[in-house]
Amino acid sequence: MKIFLTALLFLLAATAALRAQPSFSATTVPSREIVTDAAARRAAYLKRVQEVIDYRANLVNRADPAGIDLAAVATMLARHEDPKFCSEQVIRLMKAPGTGPFWMFPVVCVTYMGRDQLSSEAKQAMRDMWRTTYQIRGDTENHWAMYYISLYLISEMYPNEPASSWYTGKSSAENLAEAKEYLIHWMDLATTVGQGEYNPVHYIGEYACPLMYLASWAKDPAMKTRGHMMLEWIFSDLAEGTLNGVPVGSHSRTTDEALIEPANSLAAYFSWLLFGNVPPPAGFGGWGVYFAPAAPNYEVPEVLYRIAMDRDHDYLQKDLKRTRRRWRYSDVLFAPIYKTTYVRHDYAVGSYQGGVSDPIQSHVWDVTWAVPNPRGQHNLMFSMHPESSPHTMQMYFADYPDTTAGGAVNLSKPSYDSPDKLVGSSPYEQVFQDLDTIVALYDIPPGTKFPHINGFFSKDLTKLTEDKSGWIFAQGGNAYLAYRPLAPYVWTQSHWAQAAIRDSRLQSDSLKNGTIVQAASTGEFKNFEAFKAAINALPLEFSLEPVPTVKMRTLRGKNIVVAYGAAPLVDGRVLDYTKWKLFEGPYLNAEKGSRKLTLTYGKLQRVLDFNTVKITDSVIP
Amino acid sequence: MLRNKVLPALLVLLASAVAAPGAAAPAHDLYLCASINGSARVIGFKDSGLNGVYRREAGGDFTQFGINQAMMLALAFDPRDPRMFYVAALNGLLRTPDGGKTWRVVTDWDVTEPKSVVVDPHQPDTVYVGVPDGVIVSHDRGLTWTRMERGLPDRGKYTQVVQVDRTHAGRVFAGCETGIYLTEDGAKSWRRVFPTAVTIEDIQQSPHDPLRWLAVTEGDGALGSRDGGRTWTKLASVPSDHALYNVAFDARDPQRLAITSWTDGLFVSEDGGRTWQTRNTGLPDSHHVWRTAIDPDTGRLYASLVEQALYVSDNFGRTWRIGGLPASRVTAFAFVPKAAN
Repeated sequence: MKIFLTALLFLLAATAALRAQPSFSATTVPSREIVTDAAARRAAYLKRVQEVIDYRANLVNRADPAGIDLAAVATMLARHEDPKFCSEQVIRLMKAPGTGPFWMFPVVCVTYMGRDQLSSEAKQAMRDMWRTTYQIRGDTENHWAMYYISLYLISEMYPNEPASSWYTGKSSAENLAEAKEYLIHWMDLATTVGQGEYNPVHYIGEYACPLMYLASWAKDPAMKTRGHMMLEWIFSDLAEGTLNGVPVGSHSRTTDEALIEPANSLAAYFSWLLFGNVPPPAGFGGWGVYFAPAAPNYEVPEVLYRIAMDRDHDYLQKDLKRTRRRWRYSDVLFAPIYKTTYVRHDYAVGSYQGGVSDPIQSHVWDVTWAVPNPRGQHNLMFSMHPESSPHTMQMYFADYPDTTAGGAVNLSKPSYDSPDKLVGSSPYEQVFQDLDTIVALYDIPPGTKFPHINGFFSKDLTKLTEDKSGWIFAQGGNAYLAYRPLAPYVWTQSHWAQAAIRDSRLQSDSLKNGTIVQAASTGEFKNFEAFKAAINALPLEFSLEPVPTVKMRTLRGKNIVVAYGAAPLVDGRVLDYTKWKLFEGPYLNAEKGSRKLTLTYGKLQRVLDFNTVKITDSVIP
Repeated sequence: MLRNKVLPALLVLLASAVAAPGAAAPAHDLYLCASINGSARVIGFKDSGLNGVYRREAGGDFTQFGINQAMMLALAFDPRDPRMFYVAALNGLLRTPDGGKTWRVVTDWDVTEPKSVVVDPHQPDTVYVGVPDGVIVSHDRGLTWTRMERGLPDRGKYTQVVQVDRTHAGRVFAGCETGIYLTEDGAKSWRRVFPTAVTIEDIQQSPHDPLRWLAVTEGDGALGSRDGGRTWTKLASVPSDHALYNVAFDARDPQRLAITSWTDGLFVSEDGGRTWQTRNTGLPDSHHVWRTAIDPDTGRLYASLVEQALYVSDNFGRTWRIGGLPASRVTAFAFVPKAAN
């Protein structure tokens, strides 16, 4: 594996965050009123884009060129500012080139932004870099998206050049063909059986930035449109899977910090930039800066904007995704991920069915509650099994048993091998969701490295009550929450996210275990006591032997039976995942295998059709 | 014409492999793949280390050449012309026709993270590569590739190692996650000759007895065969509770063998594999030994200590000294007959 995240950029961004980042440092929160005037929406979007560009360009300290990176150059070029200075910096930076996709797409950004501004020497320095410096492709879906979009665009910019002029040893045409073939393959896969790195809280930028470049700068009209459509496919997932701009429910790739503080994520940055419904994170999430120079080329469609903004109407969205590629020790290359997201005005509940989606950085389920100002808020509740297993890692990484877990720890996934971690998924967790009820069951084999489950209880909960019934009640924002551990527990802490030291971690050491969570709006009950009474009045039976089993009636009147290892029953009917569509809900719909996503809001409709490579807008009569 | 070039090279290879102790000049060049400062590497930033293929110079120092790429795992040389060689690397299979001056990624996007590469000495245009999803084969020195997996399972064919039988053209072993597979018809068909529940990490053929083979696994110990790999038995004297990463024969002494382990360090045998001892005294305490090799000219034992250095021993592990490559992890050794250069 040995592929590593550049936390350094985030560090740089964070240290500079308080400088000239008004949307971050303001104490007010963005209005969530829907802007109906298209021109006003567009103007507001461009204003936010300009804030990002200005922020990064204004950080440039000409007395300290060593601190000037490609993001600084790209944003200066976006402002058409001092091309001579930019050229000098490009030449300097190309003397110590990076290797790999995180370096490649910034170079592409500067290359295209500087086409008409940089000196011929600076352009040649970049061109030479593609010959002299071997670029590694990486091993994840986001790495390959960055790598092949970069290779595509740079090969298209320099056509008809020989193999000897590229680090690959392949000609421009060969590079272009390989990149195009992979990108179409990837888009086919994502639009038929689902994206592997679905709803990537942290890695959305690693898709959005290069896709924005493909949509902006590809000469081939079909590839340009494909870039636009795939970008919008990912933004559709974002719009659907957020509550007032912050990510909710399950997602494939996050970080310790972004998980417990959802507004401090790259996903929230894109919500802010596109929809203006949440404050941006510090430093615009680091990588987010690279979207801005090309961002004026993108028009946020009204249907997407309204899907993201409207939280006055409850909705249930069911999506099909897939796991990361399984190299070995599995009967399938990709396992399906059945994702459920139920979003209401005051809270959202989201999950997938459990099991390992990705051995690092995945998040299986939670309840996220709405807050007026999400800055610094840890507005979610969940439980998880902190699995750490070389065997599981080897399923997903072509690595060795003695180095795979340590490799993850060393390389920017520091919590992976820690019992108090909060990020991750486990083969020993199975999750059922019906609207705003979650049942998570655990059957952990003896000998498992961390034989316990962790429950996350935020510092921002109020009215936390350990009821004699066994339920733990609390309030988050305008949501009442009921959490039922199925085995004894103790209270402790997690230290992985720096901010988490004020939160509480419920640790339950029973190998056979479970969590039930139910949520409701405060407005549905006279008061907190009435909510508690309603929960306590619901029939509930559970047992842990021979396997964890729950039989209960939910707050919404459903009679459910959930047993570890068996298909859940809802009002006597078996939940059949095989009927799951690619997208199904009031806003996003797609059949499995269709390559076609339909976005709907009211009478507005937009179709992204990869079969015809066309985007079609219509108003339903 | 082809045969005329191959056979002399093979004879040289075999002769040098059993060269008498005390031969004056090294008959082989030593090449290896290494990554430097692996844990400090951050993707996207300039790699401060010099990684990739190294060659041992006359004075004993190692010199890096060619592409600076950390994730190179295996290399194989064309016996007709060792300037032509192949390297299994993260992006795919690399090939250089001119001793590292120019390179090409000869595989496409659909091949990634190859783990092992071998050239059939009898048919040196034929190259076998073990990849995480099976085996690919080229019959034209890497210009084109075909998946040749009939007989390998649809799932369970993660292939960590391929190894060619030097005595029979087209006879190749594949070490997979579900066992050892053998083809005797140039990968047209495979059959499983030994099942496992864990990945086979290495397979090696004895330079003294071509019917004798050793393999190591990542959790089921070491395996041996004395009938050319048709049947395998577990070596009871080698611990099987931790991963073993590679095995080496001493071309000068059939009694000497070595096996590496992250947990237990270096195991050696001086009685042809009947008994094994650890030889870690003088190595760093962690003794995470990733790769070992035995110089066919001198009997010098090499041990790559992960991110420590390359250690060498001239008394088969009884004492050690640092032999260069600080902060390295060596992933592959190759001794190439000088006469073929």
